[in-house]
Order: sequence, then structure tokens, then C-alpha cells
Amino acid sequence: MYDIIIIGAGPGGYEMAERAGHKGQNVLLIEKAHLGGVCLNWGCIPTKTLLNSAKHYVHAKEAPAFGVTTGEVSFDLKKVMAWKQEVIETLRGGIAGMMKKSKVTVLTGEAKLLGSGKVEVNGEIHEGKNVVIATGGSPFVPPIPGADQDHVMTSKEILSVEELPQSLVVIGGGVIGIEFASFFSSLGVKVDIIEMLEEIIPFMDRGQAKSFRAALKGKVDFNLGCKVTAIDGHDVKYIDKKGEEKSINADLVLMSVGRSPNLAGMGFEEARLDVDRSGIKTDDQMRTNLPNVYAIGDVTGKSQLAHSATRMGEVALNTLLGKPDRFRMNAIPWAVYSMPEIAGCGLTTDQAKEAGFNVETATLPLLMSGRFLAENGKKGPGQVTVVKDADTDVLLGVHMFGAYSSEIIWGVAAMIEAELRIEDIKEIVFPHPTVGEVIRSTLFQF
Amino acid sequence: MATEVLMPRQGQSVESCIIIGWNVKEGDTVTEGQPLCEVETDKATFEVEATAAGTVLGIFYPADADVDVLKVIAAIGEPGEDVSSLRPADEAPEPQNIEQGISNDEVKEEVVVEKTSAVQDSKFDIRDSGPTGKASPRAKRLAEKKGVDISQVVGSGPEGRVIERDVSAAQAVPLSPAAQVKAAAGGAVPSIGTGIGGRVLAGDIGAEITALEFPGAVTEIPVKGIRKLIAGRMLDSLQNAAQVTLNSSADARSIMNYRKQCKAAPEEVGVGGINLNDSVLYMVAQTLGEFPDLNAHWKGNKIVQFNEVHLGFAVDTPRGLMVPVIRHANRLSLQQISMEAKRLGLACIDGTVDPDALSGGTFTVTNMGAMGIESFTPVLNTPEVGILGVCAIQPKPVMSGDDVEFIPHMGLSITFDHCAVDGAPAARFLARLREKFAAFEFELTLAR
Repeated sequence: MYDIIIIGAGPGGYEMAERAGHKGQNVLLIEKAHLGGVCLNWGCIPTKTLLNSAKHYVHAKEAPAFGVTTGEVSFDLKKVMAWKQEVIETLRGGIAGMMKKSKVTVLTGEAKLLGSGKVEVNGEIHEGKNVVIATGGSPFVPPIPGADQDHVMTSKEILSVEELPQSLVVIGGGVIGIEFASFFSSLGVKVDIIEMLEEIIPFMDRGQAKSFRAALKGKVDFNLGCKVTAIDGHDVKYIDKKGEEKSINADLVLMSVGRSPNLAGMGFEEARLDVDRSGIKTDDQMRTNLPNVYAIGDVTGKSQLAHSATRMGEVALNTLLGKPDRFRMNAIPWAVYSMPEIAGCGLTTDQAKEAGFNVETATLPLLMSGRFLAENGKKGPGQVTVVKDADTDVLLGVHMFGAYSSEIIWGVAAMIEAELRIEDIKEIVFPHPTVGEVIRSTLFQF
Repeated sequence: MATEVLMPRQGQSVESCIIIGWNVKEGDTVTEGQPLCEVETDKATFEVEATAAGTVLGIFYPADADVDVLKVIAAIGEPGEDVSSLRPADEAPEPQNIEQGISNDEVKEEVVVEKTSAVQDSKFDIRDSGPTGKASPRAKRLAEKKGVDISQVVGSGPEGRVIERDVSAAQAVPLSPAAQVKAAAGGAVPSIGTGIGGRVLAGDIGAEITALEFPGAVTEIPVKGIRKLIAGRMLDSLQNAAQVTLNSSADARSIMNYRKQCKAAPEEVGVGGINLNDSVLYMVAQTLGEFPDLNAHWKGNKIVQFNEVHLGFAVDTPRGLMVPVIRHANRLSLQQISMEAKRLGLACIDGTVDPDALSGGTFTVTNMGAMGIESFTPVLNTPEVGILGVCAIQPKPVMSGDDVEFIPHMGLSITFDHCAVDGAPAARFLARLREKFAAFEFELTLAR
């Protein structure tokens, strides 16, 4: 009898397993493929490895502008892919070691939930006082004619391309689409993004989304408000904003319109788990409708971010150990690792207005930072927008794009979690010279 | 001649008060009426004033001491006077650390804390090392206002009781800066918020948070009116009486037969409305006269037995349980009881009942038989010492020669207050009721 059985070894499942094992819980972790889940194997980590190589390539090409002479710069996709694989395998090994150290039992196989406390793996039934479902999500492929062709890929297959295409059409301008668009375009691939909505990345500040697109002008073509109707061979057909039928020819097509929770084939329905299209329903403590069954991560549909999954696992663990905790959604930072990077935390101006706040905002360009200018040049793209509630002076959100954004944004999460007011944050000292300083400077614009 | 300062009596029910803190020390000069110390009962805090002008010659109990009312707590007189004759026998050891006078509230808290530690070894300070869960109402109120989780506060009162002062000193969960501003403007601070580590955020001020712990929609019903009254009385009853329940059952053939006859009787006889419950009420009223032990009130220091039977009976109304009382039930015929029970029951259901009809009972009957209940533990309608629960009629196997006969029996559950009555008299009462129910029709014939 295990204390906790966790189904799925992504950043929700394996982190929870490690923390639970550390607390002396007897944990069984079940994974059907590789430790680390989508994040490590087909998501966060491989994409960051590829994007880092692309950044090196771009920096090398831009080096002369900063006084460094280089020879001919080239991009060796084979080597890049090999490094990506090495990173993945190193981290997988790290997780395996971590599980061993935390005395977590790891089983490979497909799990089936047999009601509260029972899980079947490879024909064997395991019993646990608590079951945690962390089965994640998968790319959603809409039923567009021609979407089943080999050169139409999801984020999973495109990570294994063996040669660079001449041209790429990205269907869906969300986080995944933007990252791949950034990667391929910086290597000279002609990239078109076709997005059904009027703007890219729905949770990004609208004004910044526009500035971000401007920064990619000449590298990526954005076709917004367009609906793809069919993929006829290599022609991606769509109806544009004005209702006109158009077509773009591309070697490769990336389908990145969203992800859906992994719910099928694991006995959820038979166990009477409360599930809808967006995922398994949970409360703020990650409890499902079944006693002692929890769900965390993408499968809940609450937030499709690795760090959200990790946090949900911590909340579930605290809850089953009797420590009060809750999963709060208001201060979850997010980042897009494109060139330039995008990051945000809390409410955007529009979201805050919609929520009924008396909103005030202030914006500064990242060029206000000496370091940013030195490293990115006079045209370096980037800005910070701070959103506050004018009635209480409380910080509601910070949204930014530009170099280092992803590494800065966690501080905003701390400020929002502590419900600090602008006047409180002004008392915090930021190091100089850094890009993060611009956040502090922006506060003085109010 | 030195003047004594007594722990005043605050109301009839208060037997002792806790000294929260002294405002003066020995040797201080005081004027008549000057507050000497603050004391706390479980209902309020108040100040004890100097009974005369002069010098404080003796302070006999330190802060935290729980002192019986009317005991001498201090003496005031001329410097040098001997006050040893005024010293109470159980006086605290010489209070070494009673700090100097206090001029304002801010200083008070600090001083009080010092005193607490200083008197730790005193025999009056039975402080526990951890929270005991006991707290004075004032402490509870302050804790609610301040957002302090009172179950985590270590009490400095007797037996670890948390008193107001402990709550003042306790650290509440942190409030975010914005929450502090909102709390200052008014609004209850919850003991745990929705932020990091239970931090109270602005949105938590004045909000009901507990509901978030439970999945699905909730309905919150404020406890007031009859519900509040019932809650108070039931809790009071179960906390303050030694309740014991005895279960038995009575042969119900006669009472059922009688009911059948009443139903079948011509309308002009006027007995058609007599139901089983009326028959039970009647027989209980008739029988209680023989058992004065059970037709009584428990008053703690005395037992009041009644000659007359004023019989309460439980009525289920849309607004909750009500217990109207049939006055002089022992003097009424079955028909009169039936009519009175109907009148009172309908008035309760309609909400038109005279409030006076809802008190003054000497014994209560509660009938759950119609709902199929086979036995239960009625809760005493204190200060009454007995309540009879009437249960469903069910066939019961009874030996008849070598055979088993199934005879309908009516369940009877009596709860009595073991403070006032012992088990045997209660059992005898039940036995007598059994006899009378079994021979119900004969009993009616024999009735005066």
C-alpha cells in the first residue's frame, strides 16, 4: 500500500513525487514514456536548447556591430539536435537519480484508474491511500483537410526535423507557435504565422503584442484574423480578415493551435471522475470529486504551464498531508523564449479593466537600462508596462518583452503574491546595471 | 485603620474574577475612586477602584490570579500601618515584580507581559505550555476582530484559559499592506487568508473564506430566531445535565384498539380526533403524579418537584422545533388533552402561538413514532429532569407458552437527568407506563 500513487512523471508528477518522498511518503510514480514528461522531452527544455543555439547564431552574426569580427557563421542542425538530445538525457538521468534519492518507486507503463485508491499498471493492481492524476496534455490537431500529411507537424514532431525547411507556415500564434517562428526565422527560414484571433498570444498585453510584432518585421509575416480551411499539399489555404481566400506555400506546416488534456483510455470515465472538455475538475486544493483522488497540471485545464503543474502538485501534497494551502492563479508568471523574449505576471491592462479595477498603467522602454542598451544596441526592442489599481495602489500586473524578461518576471510574482502597493515596491532596491531596474523606474512614472 | 479593597461581585452567577493587571504598586499614593486594577469575568472586564484615599499598603494577588469575589485583594491606609490582618489566607507569594503604574495603553501591554513571566512560579499561575482551547468570550471577540487563530494562542489565565490580554499580544497572520489599509477602514479580518502562507489579502477582509475549502456551491444560513434558540437550549441541555436514556416498549394492542374505536365512533361523540399521541400524553400526565421525581426541575442546588403536571410536547414546525405546554394536564380528560394539543400544535405551526404557552413545562413528550423511529435519545428540555420519547409501533415476538406470538409494541425512550433522578425510579416510571399502556382501555375506565 503506497501513500501516494502519481500517474504521470511530468513537472507536476515528478516534482510532487520528489517532495513527497522527501517528506517520508511511500510514493509510486507511473510514467508511460519518459521521465520529465512533455516539458523535458518535447516542450520547455528541447525548445530552449534549440532557441539557445539560434541565439548564438544570431549573436555571432550581429557580433561585428559590437566590435567582434567573426568568420562565416553557419548553423549545424545535426549538432544542435545532438546537443538537444544530450540535454534531455542528462536531465532525465537527473530526475531518475532524484527519484532514487527520494525513495520513489518508478514504474513504466500505462496506468488505469480503478476508483479511489487503486491503479492498474501492466496488468498489476497497485493500491494507494491517495492517487494523483498528472497525465498532462497533447497538441490539439483541428480537423482541417490535409492536416494528416507528413509535413504537417505538431510541436512534438518538429523537434526532430532533420533539415531546415525553406519556408514554414505556423498555424496558431500562441506561445508554441511564436517560439518556433522565432527559432526558424532567425535561421533564415521564411515564416508565416496564421492566427485566427486578431492578435497573437492571448494573455499578452495588447499594446506590447503589437510592438513585439513590429520587432519581428521582415522576419515573420503575421496573418491575423485568418482562418485556415485546408492544407492542399504544401498550400495552406485560409480566409483572411476581409473574407478573401488566400494561400501560402510552405515546405513545413506547424500545427500549434492549442493543447488538450490527456483524459482517454485511463479509466477516468468508468471511475466516475468529474471531467469536462477542458479537463478534470478540481477545487483550489486540487481535489477531484473522488475521495483521495487529486489532479494536477495540464490535465486540469487550469493552467498549461510546467511551473503551474509543479505548484499544483505541492498544493495537492500539502492538502493530503493536512497543511492548508491553495492554488492561486493570480500571480503565475509566464514567459515566451522567443527573440526578443516575452514575459508577464498578473493582469494586463485590459484584463484589469474587465475585472472592474480603476486601472492606471505606466510604460518604459528597456533602453532606459544602460545594460540593455550596451547589449542590444540603440534599436533593441523591449518595454515594461506596469498595471496598478488606482484605488488601492496595489500592483496588478507587469508585462514586458525584451532580453532577460523571463529571468526577471519571478520578482513580480513575489510582489503580487504579497499584494504589495506601488509605494511599497519603491522601497525595494534593485541591482544596477540590470534590465530589471526598468520595472522599478516605471513605478516612478505614476 | 487601613481600608480593604474587595474583589467586587459582578452579578449573581460570577464566583471569581481574573486580575488582568494592576495599575498601581505597593507604596503608591491613590485617591478614592482611582482605578487600581482591571479584572475580567467571562463576560466583561472592569476596573476595581480605590475604596479610600491613601497609600497602597498591600497588593495580595498578582496579575493573572483568579480570585473569589468579596476577597480582599489590596489594602489602602497610612504609610507604616500593619495590614497583616487583612491579608487573605491564600494570598499569593509576595509579588516582587508588580511594575510601576501605567499611564497609557501602549505601555500597559508590555508591562503586562513582563508581569506574566514574573509570576510564572506563583501558585496562581497554572499556565499550560500549549493552547488549551479555553478562552473567555471577550478574548474570542477580540480574536475574531483581530484575525487571531485563538486555538493557537497560549492562554495565561487559570488552567491555560486565553484571556483578552493574550489575544492582544498574539501575532495575527500577516496582512498585506493593502489588506491593512482595508482592515483599518473596518471589516472583519479572517484568521487565515487566501495569500501565501495564509496571508490575509485585501479581498479577504470581510469575506467569508471557509466556503472555499469545500467544492461546489454552498448555502449560508445565518443562525437566528428559533434556530438560535434551539441551538442554545440543546447545547446547554447536553452540557449541563447528566443525561441517560432508557429504552423499552409497551404492548400497543389496547391503545390501538381504542384509537380504532374512536375513529369508528359517531361524529357527535366527538372522539374522532383523538390520536395515539393524545393517548400517550394523557397517560403520561396521569402517571407522572405517582413519580414526583420525574415531574421536577433540576436547579443545581435544589430540586423542585411539582404537584401539577404541565406537559410539554414537541411540535415540528416549518420554523423548527417548538414545545408548547399543556397546563394542568393531570386534571384534563383525554378528550380535553386531545383538543388542547391540537390547538397548541396548530398555533405553533401557524406561528400564532402565545409565547407564554412555550414555557413552564414540568415534563416533555416527544413523538417520532409516525416517522418510523424505533428508539432514540431525546434531549432534556432543561431544567426539566425527564423527557419521554415515543417511537413507532412494531410487532415484537413474545413467548406465549411454547409458541411465539407477534404483538404490536410501541417503543418508549426516556431520557432523565441523572443529577436529579437515578436509573431505578426512571425505570419504574417506564414500567408503570408499560402497564398502563397495555391496559389502556381499563385505565380509561378507572380514571377519575
